[in-house]
Amino acid sequence: MSHVPERSKECEALSDDLIEFALGTLSGRSRSLVLDHLETCAHCNAESESLADVADTMLWLAPDAEPPLGFETRVIERFRGSEAQRRIVRRRRASVFAVAAMLVAVLGVGVGAVVTSHDGANLPSATVRPSTGRLMSGGQVLGEVTISSGSPSWMIMDVDTGKVSGVVWCEVTFANGRSETVGKFTISHGYGSWIAPIKASGSDVRSARIVKANGAVVAQATFTT
Amino acid sequence: MRRQGHYGDGASDEALLSGVALGDERAVLIFVRRYQRRLFGLALGIVGDSGMAEDVAQEAFIRILRHAAVYDVRRGSVATWTLTITRNLAIDALRVRRPIPTAPEDRAFLDLISSERLPDDAAAMSESVAQARSALAALPMDQRRAIVLAVMYGRTVAEVATLESIPLGTAKSRIRLGLAKLREAATVMEIP
Repeated sequence: MSHVPERSKECEALSDDLIEFALGTLSGRSRSLVLDHLETCAHCNAESESLADVADTMLWLAPDAEPPLGFETRVIERFRGSEAQRRIVRRRRASVFAVAAMLVAVLGVGVGAVVTSHDGANLPSATVRPSTGRLMSGGQVLGEVTISSGSPSWMIMDVDTGKVSGVVWCEVTFANGRSETVGKFTISHGYGSWIAPIKASGSDVRSARIVKANGAVVAQATFTT
Repeated sequence: MRRQGHYGDGASDEALLSGVALGDERAVLIFVRRYQRRLFGLALGIVGDSGMAEDVAQEAFIRILRHAAVYDVRRGSVATWTLTITRNLAIDALRVRRPIPTAPEDRAFLDLISSERLPDDAAAMSESVAQARSALAALPMDQRRAIVLAVMYGRTVAEVATLESIPLGTAKSRIRLGLAKLREAATVMEIP
């Protein structure tokens, strides 16, 4: 025979709030009181779970409906984009720390701030303010490019193409219309992350592209002035 | 998300979520296909607008897929978890659009509180869902309305009282009695 937890006077006083709690509509101080009570009351814990189960059952009663055309594709594309962005943020954080450590070691603390404060905040002077652009392809964010404006300027690129692998070239276009190939890099299993010096001030860069050997553009970032 | 596993259409929800957590594209595809009509239907039933329902259902899928790795089977079925996330997002969206609660009187609401069941619904419903529907339909109309407003539309007891033009105590008792009867009925049915 199973043990049925006893109900106290406090349980009685909180019974209405417990229902609202189980339905998810209780807020504020009343919710705090119920939560405090639930920490020590097996009876109300069981009651709350039971009521929540009943409420959950009701969610099954809404009729299915056919979503608009292309819904499935939009969900999957959006998920891919969000996952790529999350991976990029995680890896960029790691790579930025690595690059910062390298620059600090080579050039000193002042330039190190370029990468540790890549959003441009709290930099030691305007001469080291970096530019950042999103690498886009077909409306999807595939990565990010950061270019410092110090001397020398550095380009830090992080990309998640999802499926492109192999050797690619990085090209930048400057404000005067001139284009330059910054270097040749390798994307492995869809991912690539690299840093390279560029022979111009970062504030002069208007766009950066990742290009395959056949000239196809994998992704492009545009920098606003 | 690059891996491509061997998940079939018959894979369990839990297996699919494991695949999603490992970045398996096929698991994501099957999961979305399996749940899109249900999640969109629930969102549409609550917000009553197709465009808004798509936004809600999309956001629900993103959250579910992103948190696939932390799904805990002890906290209920995958289906209930996904529906709860969708319901909560839909309620949030509805509250932003209509800060002052209004009584939903659209077709979805009226269908939910109706004691009739449309003939084409019967074939589409699983037995357990049909039982839940019957249990709700067996409640007096005033209790049914109060339960649906609170559970499906996230209305507080005070809001139910205002919407139904009844004293707070009456709203409380309608919800309490209604839930008690539904729980009694639920003891003899198995919800997926």
